Amino acid sequence: MNGLVIPSIHYLAILPVLIFFGASLLLLVVSALVDTKVTIYFATAITSLTAVATVVVAFFQWSYVANHGASTTVAHAVVLDGFAVVGTVVVAVGVLLSSLVAHDWAKRERIAGADFHILALASSAGALLMVSANDLIVIFLGLEILSIGLYVLVGFDRHRVTSAEASLKYFLLGGFASAIFIYGAALVYGATGSTNLGSIAYFLSNNVVLHPGLLYAGGALLLIGFAFKVAAVPFHLWSPDVYEGAPTPVTGFMASVVKVGAFAALLRVLISALGTQLDTWRPILFVMIIATCIVGAVVALVQRNVKRLLAYSSINQAGFMLLGVWSGSARGVAATLFYVLSYAPVVIATFAVVTLVGGRGDELHSIDHYRGLARRQPWLGGALTVLLLSQLGAPLTVGFYAKYTVLAATIDSGGGALALVAIITAAIAAYFYLRWAMWLYADDDVEATRVAVPTSTGVVIGVGVIVAILFGLWPGPLVAWCQHATLLFLP
Amino acid sequence: MAHVATLILLMPLVGYLFVLANGKGLSERAIGVVATGVVALSFVLTVVAFFLLLGHSDREMTVHLFNWISVGSLHVNAALLVDPLSITMCLFVTGISALIHLYSIGYMKGEKDFRKFFLYLNLFVFSMLLLVLANNLLVTFVGWEGVGVCSYWLVSYYFDRDSAASAGKKAFLYNRVGDIGLLIAMFLLFHATHTLNYLGIFHAAGTLSPTVATLTVLALLLAATGKSAQIPLFNWLPDAMEGPTPVSALIHAATMVTAGVFLLVRMSPVLAMSPDGRATIAVIGGVTAFVAATIATSQKDIKKVLAFSTVSQIGYMVLAVGVGAYSAAIFLMIAHAFFKALLFLGSGSVIHSLNGEQDMRKMGGLAKYLPLTFPTFLIGWLTISGIPPFAGFFAKGDVLTNVFEHNKPLWVLGIVTAILTAYYMSRLFVLTFRGTERFREDTHGHDPHESPWVMTLPLVVLAVLSILGGLINLPWAHGRSLAEFLNPVLGYVPHVAAASTAAQWGLAAVDVAAAVFGLLAAFSIWRNITESSRYESSFLEHVWHWDDFYDATIGRPLTEVAVFSDEVIEPKVIDGAVTGIAVATRNSAEGLRKLQSGFARQYALAMVLGFAVIIVYLVARVH
Amino acid sequence: MHSSIYLTVLIVVPLLGALIAALVQKTPGLSYVVAVVTSCVELALALVVAVLYSPHVKGAGTWDFMSRHVLSAPLGLAYDVGLDGISLLMMVLTALVLVLALFGARDRRQEAAFVGWLLLLTSFTMASFLSHDVLEFFIFFELTLVPSYFLISGWGGAQRSRAALKFFIYTFTGSAFLFIGILYLGFLNQHQTQGALTFSYSALQGASMTHGTAVWLFLAFAVAFAVKSPIFPFHTWSPITYAEAPTAGSIELSALLAKLGSYGLLRFAVGLFPLALATLRPLILTLAVISILYGSLVACATPDLKRLVAYSSLAQMGFITLGIITGSKIAMVGAVLLMFNHGVITAGFFLIIGFLEKRRGSYQIKDMKGLQGPAPVFAAIFTVVMLASIGLPGLSGFVSEYLILIGTFGTHAWWGAAATLGVVAAAAYLLWAYQRVFQGKATGANAEIADANAKERWVLVPVVVLIVALGVFPHPVLDRISPSVNQLIHHVAPAGVKK
Repeated sequence: MNGLVIPSIHYLAILPVLIFFGASLLLLVVSALVDTKVTIYFATAITSLTAVATVVVAFFQWSYVANHGASTTVAHAVVLDGFAVVGTVVVAVGVLLSSLVAHDWAKRERIAGADFHILALASSAGALLMVSANDLIVIFLGLEILSIGLYVLVGFDRHRVTSAEASLKYFLLGGFASAIFIYGAALVYGATGSTNLGSIAYFLSNNVVLHPGLLYAGGALLLIGFAFKVAAVPFHLWSPDVYEGAPTPVTGFMASVVKVGAFAALLRVLISALGTQLDTWRPILFVMIIATCIVGAVVALVQRNVKRLLAYSSINQAGFMLLGVWSGSARGVAATLFYVLSYAPVVIATFAVVTLVGGRGDELHSIDHYRGLARRQPWLGGALTVLLLSQLGAPLTVGFYAKYTVLAATIDSGGGALALVAIITAAIAAYFYLRWAMWLYADDDVEATRVAVPTSTGVVIGVGVIVAILFGLWPGPLVAWCQHATLLFLP
Repeated sequence: MAHVATLILLMPLVGYLFVLANGKGLSERAIGVVATGVVALSFVLTVVAFFLLLGHSDREMTVHLFNWISVGSLHVNAALLVDPLSITMCLFVTGISALIHLYSIGYMKGEKDFRKFFLYLNLFVFSMLLLVLANNLLVTFVGWEGVGVCSYWLVSYYFDRDSAASAGKKAFLYNRVGDIGLLIAMFLLFHATHTLNYLGIFHAAGTLSPTVATLTVLALLLAATGKSAQIPLFNWLPDAMEGPTPVSALIHAATMVTAGVFLLVRMSPVLAMSPDGRATIAVIGGVTAFVAATIATSQKDIKKVLAFSTVSQIGYMVLAVGVGAYSAAIFLMIAHAFFKALLFLGSGSVIHSLNGEQDMRKMGGLAKYLPLTFPTFLIGWLTISGIPPFAGFFAKGDVLTNVFEHNKPLWVLGIVTAILTAYYMSRLFVLTFRGTERFREDTHGHDPHESPWVMTLPLVVLAVLSILGGLINLPWAHGRSLAEFLNPVLGYVPHVAAASTAAQWGLAAVDVAAAVFGLLAAFSIWRNITESSRYESSFLEHVWHWDDFYDATIGRPLTEVAVFSDEVIEPKVIDGAVTGIAVATRNSAEGLRKLQSGFARQYALAMVLGFAVIIVYLVARVH
Repeated sequence: MHSSIYLTVLIVVPLLGALIAALVQKTPGLSYVVAVVTSCVELALALVVAVLYSPHVKGAGTWDFMSRHVLSAPLGLAYDVGLDGISLLMMVLTALVLVLALFGARDRRQEAAFVGWLLLLTSFTMASFLSHDVLEFFIFFELTLVPSYFLISGWGGAQRSRAALKFFIYTFTGSAFLFIGILYLGFLNQHQTQGALTFSYSALQGASMTHGTAVWLFLAFAVAFAVKSPIFPFHTWSPITYAEAPTAGSIELSALLAKLGSYGLLRFAVGLFPLALATLRPLILTLAVISILYGSLVACATPDLKRLVAYSSLAQMGFITLGIITGSKIAMVGAVLLMFNHGVITAGFFLIIGFLEKRRGSYQIKDMKGLQGPAPVFAAIFTVVMLASIGLPGLSGFVSEYLILIGTFGTHAWWGAAATLGVVAAAAYLLWAYQRVFQGKATGANAEIADANAKERWVLVPVVVLIVALGVFPHPVLDRISPSVNQLIHHVAPAGVKK
């Protein structure tokens, strides 16, 4: 007659998730109880507070991990390790920046209420869950929380039909992907008798799988689930449409926070759980990476809508992030972590600029609207130039070292050819980044109006630029941190 | 001695720098005096050096100036070699140059770029002296190129005339082709003997393999044909007559064009290693002498005649070198310097008096108007025709005698050339000074005027030299002759039985006969006609269509290839490949974009397909 | 061993200059003054360093001013500078070219930005020449693209955007291979030494590799450098880029940045993978000779003065490559010297062409005629530069070209002989151009043009002086180059290089 056994919970590990849920709920409750809609200021303040609090918690988590090493809790379902901590920080920062952008955007679009922030916080909680998950089921949980919030966010802009359409597409395909993922999880369970990443790894390292078909199929399905979220070819088709349709701040959110969660979980599954199966899944990734890099870089060449362009750009970037996964080494994990970490602020800042140029109604996204921007507004234009150069991978921007680390990891694991293909697609990508930058400095622009730069968005752009340049000049500490974090990777 | 030699070289440079530094400040007069003075000075110094050298027991001394290039095994000093050959060259180079500088003061009076002219002239003399005084091939090459570029400047002196500009370019390019020869020769010798110093090379000459020796000699010959206007590179010289007449006299008659001959004589110890090489040289020389002489018979322009005569005379010198008669070559070089300079300056005086008319058909009967030019020119004419006792007779005789001893066929060719020489010079003489006056329209009815003393004085001096020039190398003056002076530094030539005294008299007689015959022929034909399609075939007038040939075989094809490369290969092929890749990428982008249909169902399908592919791979892997 | 602080200052001074220029941009003309002062300081400093340099430092071979600071161990990232006889000339050239570009090709449109980019470019170029670390070199090598790109696209001619993009993408793609090659080499070395990841030049020189690996790595490096130089057939970006860039840009690109290519080829490709030489030499020698002859050929036909210089540069870079690859010490020294001489000569060409363009508003040869009449000074100086480029003895170009040819002739007679034809070709296209531009009868606008003014003359003075001085007294310079080339040769020696 024994009741349900509550597993011991190490609350420090799940504190960030709790904080985010808490904040989200708080906002929800408040906006539900208070009959007059809570002001956007309140929402942004709460969100910022949450993010800051999370970073502080992350600091304590880090020192704990540094002292006691990595540990699991909640029946090994959640892991507290350096990797999780870094992931948490990135998510927190991502949310903070996105909400700041959304703040001004919401004001411009006359969208009262805290809805955006509530949803953002909620799905970020999902992302946080993913970075610290150590169990397929938990990962799935995170994935779903993350996604459901997003589905709504993408369709958030009631004025534009494209927004609703994008939301629907994303919902349909996302549901499809989730189904694939959970099915994969089931198959892996069937093959290894567990959904816990640690147990899976243990099982696979101590038993010879006589009929690996089941395991393989499961692994493949999981991989596809992730590939969809990170928009790897051929599971990327949704992203241009969704990026274009979604409200621009949401797009920035997707390009950063969502990627963090997805990549964190992907790394855990492939490397800690299925690490022994390296030879099996590597070839799949190999092909996937090449396709992703090429499609991302090439198709972007013919885009005139900057949001679509950035969608393809981020597909190309995802290809680079996958390089770190492919290399399957500690160096690789650290590289991907560093890539995601450095990419998030830059891409959010880029979308922040796009949000501003998009103007009331969030419609002006043709590249033509950027003609002579840098001539009219040197600072804004200069900032965008730096952000683009960073994504291009020009030296003395953080983007260069991001590419450097993943390529180094790839070559270190004997992937010279793969690295070469990737870097050449970067050269192709350079074309559209530069062309965009060039339009900024075109001096033949006609009576274009100045773009207003509200404070908080300005701050976000500033942060992006600072990150791009500061860590471009001085990448050492950040890289070291990521390396250190991955040393504490895995229980 | 060292200082004297250095000063000989530096004087003209000093003059150049002085005039250059003083900018527009100097008057024509001052410029002329300075420029002429420095050259005269270095002539005086050369005379001093000459007697010092006579005094010396060891007549080869090196004057080290400074270390120029030294990398790895390549060590080249800027240094001079003072020996009989270089001093002999210096003597007549500085002497003639001084005279022609003087002449130019009068001739170039009032020219727009008077100053520039004398700058170039001094620079030229400096380069020429560097060429002859150098103690290694590379420094010689510096002078070699220096005189070349000065000649380029002076030929295209009237740069606003397209013909002059083209002529200068042509001269430079033909010389460049020759330079390849000198460069290759240097490369071959350096890698064979590990030095570029003359003495070093001569020392190691014995070790040269026959192949290398012959290749080197042929390379040197190529260089000589360029600089000394020999077949196949001779046809730049006539065009070079676009330059002012003093330039034609100095550079394109007396000095620079003989540099090729000097080079061959200088390298005679290497020539000694390659009989085949020498044979080739002899043939080139003989044939050039003949061809040029035939062409000279049909030219209308007085300077063109003299130009081809120069080519022909240098042909003689090269022929002499080919048969190993090096001292004879130098002898003719000096004599030629005297009378050809005389003839050019004389013609210059004529042209000057006719306000620049150069067409002999518009001359005639000038004898009585030019009291000084006429007699001096007469002497020049007799000298080149080989009438005793003038220098030309002895010099040419010396050459022909040696040729006779080594190679009968070429001797015959030489005699024929001698006849032609006497013929075309007499034709020139008759058309210019005798017969009816045809110049009135050029002089607007006035009588032609004799030139000022600065121009006539050099004529007189040169006339005297032409008369007495033979003395420096009389066949019977043993111990005192040029030959004895030079022989120690000249390469060994296998000895052949020298013609007996009787034979020598016989040969001399033949020479005279040839000269007289040519003379009479010319007089009988040209006494009272000014042109004749019979005796002036257009084939000869057009230089055997040599230029047209080069133009058709090299010039035009190359131009077409160049244009084709610029307009087709470059943009379409090479850059086309690059842009092709870019376009291909763009097109594939358009293609991939099609996949982006916008329909969720198709996206889902793509995902399923992707899954299928992975499964196929895994299945394949399992089995 | 001198302190590395000198080199650091050389790199930092232009940066500061750019910063100050940006700060004072409000006051018109002031930023230009700042830039000019900076450039003069830089040049003076470079000359001081050149004089101080001593090629006989204990234990460091011919390297001087060295120091290494690891910035990030995991990245193998380090700040590692040093100077040897080969980089010495490049350092001076970098500073010199900046001075010439600033004085001779001032552009008043958004002057602060203009001089700012120029100064940044100088700093980056300087840094890459002074790098003693392969990764560091690469970073700055890549970095030079950014200022060049903005200079071209911002101040260039009608087709500047196309030119800038083509230039950037082409070189960027080229260096992609270099990037991979460097990383590969780094890890190869790390796996051998089991030590930390390092890209130190001397450390990597110690890496042992199979012949095949060496060949592949050499190719990866060579592609990047062949594009930069440029070498046939990777040259098609250069004519349009040189033609469309502003005069200052053309000068920086052809006189300076091109040398990054040949410098890299010598220092890194040859210096790190001597094993590959044996295999690849015939190929590269052939490409070099083709560059010489083909470049000259096209130069004969091209109707645009700037393009003409571009193709003549192609030919000159061919000579340099020949000297680097042929494996004769004499030729190598000649190549290093020619890198400098060609820099000065091309700068001279572009300066004069720029001055003429200011007067005639065109780079087209057909728009000019008989300029020697109205502008004798331009004609005279152009002649000097032209003759130096043709290789007239007594002028700088000759010494270097001669060394290359005589050296090549010793190791590869046929290629040497073929290259010698280039000597005639150069004379052909340059004299032909000179005749069309300066000779003949000047009419109309051509007869009206003003001759060089005092400022223009003063800018051209150093060019002429260097051309003459290095033609007559190359000795001091050669003395500084030789030991370093010796050291390189000794390293390369096993791969059959003649001393």
